[in-house]
Amino acid sequence: MNCDHAQPLIDAYADGELDALRRLFVEKHLRTCARCAEQHAELLALRRRLRAEAPYFAAPAALTERVRAMVASTPAARPARASRVTEPLRRLSGRVPPRWQWVSGGALGGCAATVLAFVVGTAVIDWQASQNMVAQAVSRHVQATLGDRLVAVVSSDQHTVKPWLSARLDYSPPVHDLASDGFPLLGGRLDTLGGRKVATLVYGYRKHTIDVFVQPDAFDMPSSKELRGFNVAHQRAAGWDWLAVSDAEPQVLDTCLAKLIHAATAH
Amino acid sequence: MPHLSAGYNLARWLARDGHDAEDIVQDACMRALKYIDSLNRSEARAWFLTIVRHAFYDWCERNRPAEIAHDDGSALEAAVDHNAIDPEQSAVRRAESKVLADAVAELPLAFREVLILREMEELSYKEIARIADIPIGTVMSRLARARALLQGSPRLRAIGERTSGGDR
Repeated sequence: MNCDHAQPLIDAYADGELDALRRLFVEKHLRTCARCAEQHAELLALRRRLRAEAPYFAAPAALTERVRAMVASTPAARPARASRVTEPLRRLSGRVPPRWQWVSGGALGGCAATVLAFVVGTAVIDWQASQNMVAQAVSRHVQATLGDRLVAVVSSDQHTVKPWLSARLDYSPPVHDLASDGFPLLGGRLDTLGGRKVATLVYGYRKHTIDVFVQPDAFDMPSSKELRGFNVAHQRAAGWDWLAVSDAEPQVLDTCLAKLIHAATAH
Repeated sequence: MPHLSAGYNLARWLARDGHDAEDIVQDACMRALKYIDSLNRSEARAWFLTIVRHAFYDWCERNRPAEIAHDDGSALEAAVDHNAIDPEQSAVRRAESKVLADAVAELPLAFREVLILREMEELSYKEIARIADIPIGTVMSRLARARALLQGSPRLRAIGERTSGGDR
């Protein structure tokens, strides 16, 4: 591969958008061509500068409040939502369980529009959860990433997270920060899966959040699965059952689990 | 509410004004509520960003029609060629040691949006293509030019020739 071939691919290479074959070609070319290697380095430098110098504007509190109020006062949205969510339940059980009544009762005031979108989806996923561990895990992940309880104990320090979890469970889960592998530990929380209390480790990966449920017993589910755009990876290793859920790519989840298992084995 | 911030960040960079960005996002949320049925949950962030982008362009048409008028293909080429392809001028730009954030804000709209979606939201080319409603090839060339513009790089000339159809 010469420069004419490599040059147009360097951006896509830096963006991780090339297939394996072309990635290999570019990699090889970059090792031998100083000019293209410099161009690649400049791209990475620009990216670093952009992340450091160009601000990411978070939604102002006032806007968040206004959106909340707006959702609360959108009457048109409610009946349709409510019936869509509650109708299948009504048909199944003859009544709307109390936990759904807030939906039909119109108590949507605490949700923003985007969250409402999720809540509708979550409700549907939740409804399937009784029959399906995968759905349950995804549903926990979605609930957590939406609400304020993504992490109950916020810490990138494994020595803070581990005792917090151990004190609340009948086992002491393996907790390792994987920041050096690109998966910084954000914290931990407790969830219930299949009627059992389970430790949830929360990792970051770029803009994604990865929930890793870990327990000594086996989760009753297949090794990997996709549900409504969320990927679920499941492994049994190092004496633990690992269940990872995220909207990140399946390969990312596999890597994350492999690193965790490696860390757990090493200790 | 991570997606609300993603939407606000995009609107803020497109409109280059905090108040306008709030109006746009609020409008987008209103639309999101209306079109909730079309939500494919797996892509909630991309879906919401698409709505924010539409809301921005509609808002722009009402409030700053001049900005969009400049953004058809040919005007875009001209704007870039005129502003930055001259190496002497890019040297001047560097000498002014312009803050990078300002340089981003000054990128032509079509370049700015793909850059923000890629570098800040870390979306894939495919997702960006869908949000901005352009082919993936266009995403790639716009990204390359946006970056070259920011770098004030001589490479811009090569990219410029390539994307405007010149076979090298």
